[in-house]
Amino acid sequence: MSGKKLKNEHSIKKLFGRSEVTVILAVLALGMLFSIFSDSFLTSYNMFNLGRTAAIYIFIALGQAMVVIVGGMNLSLGYIGGMTVVAAGYSMEVLHLSSFTAVIIGLLVGILAGLINGIIITGLKINSFVVTLATSFVFTGLINGVSQGYPYNEIPSGFTVLGRDGFLGIPFLLWLAILILLILGYFFKYTVTGRRVLATGGNQEAAKMSGVNITRMIILANICSGLFAAAAGLLWVSRTGSAQPSTGSDWMVISFAVAVIGGTALKGGVFNPIGVFFAGFLIVIVKNGLVMLNANIYYEQAYLGLILLLAVSLDSIKDLINVRKLKKDLKAENKM
Amino acid sequence: MKRKAMAILLSLIMAVGMAGCSNGSSSEDTETSTETAAETTAETTPEDADSDTVIAWYAPAPHSYFDEVKTGVEQFMEDTGMEVIVQIGADWTQASENEKVEALIAQGVNAIAIYPCDASGANGLYEEITEKMGVNVVNFGTDTDDPTTASFAVATDVKQAAYDATVALIEMMGEEGSILNVLEVLEDPNTALRKEGVEEAAANYPNVEIIQEIAGIQTQEEAVSKIESALSANAGKIDGMICTGMEATVGMSQILSDYYEKQGDEKHIYAVGIDTDSGVMNAIEEGIIDATIAQNSTGHGYISCMLLKYLGEDYQVKEDAYFIDSGNVLVTIDNMDSYEQNLEEVTQDILGRLTTDYLEK
Repeated sequence: MSGKKLKNEHSIKKLFGRSEVTVILAVLALGMLFSIFSDSFLTSYNMFNLGRTAAIYIFIALGQAMVVIVGGMNLSLGYIGGMTVVAAGYSMEVLHLSSFTAVIIGLLVGILAGLINGIIITGLKINSFVVTLATSFVFTGLINGVSQGYPYNEIPSGFTVLGRDGFLGIPFLLWLAILILLILGYFFKYTVTGRRVLATGGNQEAAKMSGVNITRMIILANICSGLFAAAAGLLWVSRTGSAQPSTGSDWMVISFAVAVIGGTALKGGVFNPIGVFFAGFLIVIVKNGLVMLNANIYYEQAYLGLILLLAVSLDSIKDLINVRKLKKDLKAENKM
Repeated sequence: MKRKAMAILLSLIMAVGMAGCSNGSSSEDTETSTETAAETTAETTPEDADSDTVIAWYAPAPHSYFDEVKTGVEQFMEDTGMEVIVQIGADWTQASENEKVEALIAQGVNAIAIYPCDASGANGLYEEITEKMGVNVVNFGTDTDDPTTASFAVATDVKQAAYDATVALIEMMGEEGSILNVLEVLEDPNTALRKEGVEEAAANYPNVEIIQEIAGIQTQEEAVSKIESALSANAGKIDGMICTGMEATVGMSQILSDYYEKQGDEKHIYAVGIDTDSGVMNAIEEGIIDATIAQNSTGHGYISCMLLKYLGEDYQVKEDAYFIDSGNVLVTIDNMDSYEQNLEEVTQDILGRLTTDYLEK
């Protein structure tokens, strides 16, 4: 066997060994399947919409991934998004502030909420599950108290440009998601703070012994979580042109599903921007495809669950095959 | 030390928060429109009421629909001089509703108008408070499963409303074409009734077909994403769209404006929804959607309180009387300013018939 051939085989194995490959394959396979069975799947209108929804899912997932990376979780994520939406809507409709100011206020609300979560988690050393569960009630109360359940519909038309338009046929929202993922990819791979955040999630004790200020890292992760939740909320307002107080109420499942399918380890310490990108598309494509195929409305959730289960199992199936192959190779070597 | 300081700080925040949460029952201010969630709005205690009937009105969570219903309750208070304890819960769950209602009963409430969170689960609560405590219960907004110990349900006949909305849509379409039927939560028994209403109406027109049904919509986000997918799946084939839930209607009005921007407005998709959210009304005004079904929300509040008042005056429920259809009105751009008057007339008609058609001494 020539050296070149061996090198090629090694490269292919290395490529398929990457955790995000299975998600990419699942997205491609499902995309092909749905495009075979539905003429409308690959239309520009549908692709544009898929891109917009996936982008928002990516932001929601990033909100969760930021805290999962440090070994925590954020159950109040959706409610931070809801508070941001209400804050921005209130600023524009009631206070008649400019869109720019409303965005700043919305982002500050998200950052502040994340900061509060982070300070309580680290200051009182309470599990993030308990803290964010409690703050989710506080945030819900604030959403209801300020909005009284009413939506804010007087959103300036300029505000919807980001959510409704695009560049080169790709929605601005998706460009923004790609940009943020690139920045995060760089941050976690090449910056000291990024490596410290990952180290905190990987092993808190080891990180502490290595001189990492884990308190600061956890607070930073929570602030980022709040910031991304706020961004997702604002982008949703930009897309629909309306600030609905109920925004965010169904984000929890999406946030965990996209982040974890995208390769963010629940035990912390791992972040995969490419995986998160494709996982966002995976969920959106499955949901969209089921409508495209006119799936029975009563069994739709079951189909959704089965397809997702199959998609996330691919990684484990691949690992099992690899382990079996390794055992076989070792046996063969021992015989020799 | 740091942890101790943090604990003290949190305790202080809690104390201040609790002080802020108190509703100031000694206050003379009787303004009710600006109250926040879970806040008891009536300023008088139950013991202050003139008659033996102590009425409470309970809504599970802050919502624009409940605000409209509350307006009816406030009108009732103004017209009759009776006090009603108004309470709005913080979350839309039966467990939370049970806790809040039990607390109201403990305060001496013996008549309650309530929106049941769970059509089946609420009956357990009703059995306890009606049979053991002698409390009169009237459902508003939606009904509980049969059998129930509630005396009345004052609500929109959801199947009829869906039927009316579909007929209106089909007539706008010129009695031919394909309809996208957008349903909401499948776990809600009302969804099945709405589905039947839409299907029965469509079946009366041989040149009309329901091209696709979408459902499982709980939030506006889901509505947007599913309607968008269905529009893509049936590009150019949909002539009309019917939404029989509020979230779906709001989602539809947002999507269609975006759809016309992207796909052009050469082909108009006739669209009829339900409920009068401000975004929906704006969409009608702008010609993005064509009509919506307005429920008689104010009537839900007024009529249910009036029934409780009569029940406290020894009126009995007439045999077979239970469900009171509060009526609905189709709102288009032509009657946007006058539809509330039409609903008011329906309310007055029902009020005039309460002691003859539904109650007896």
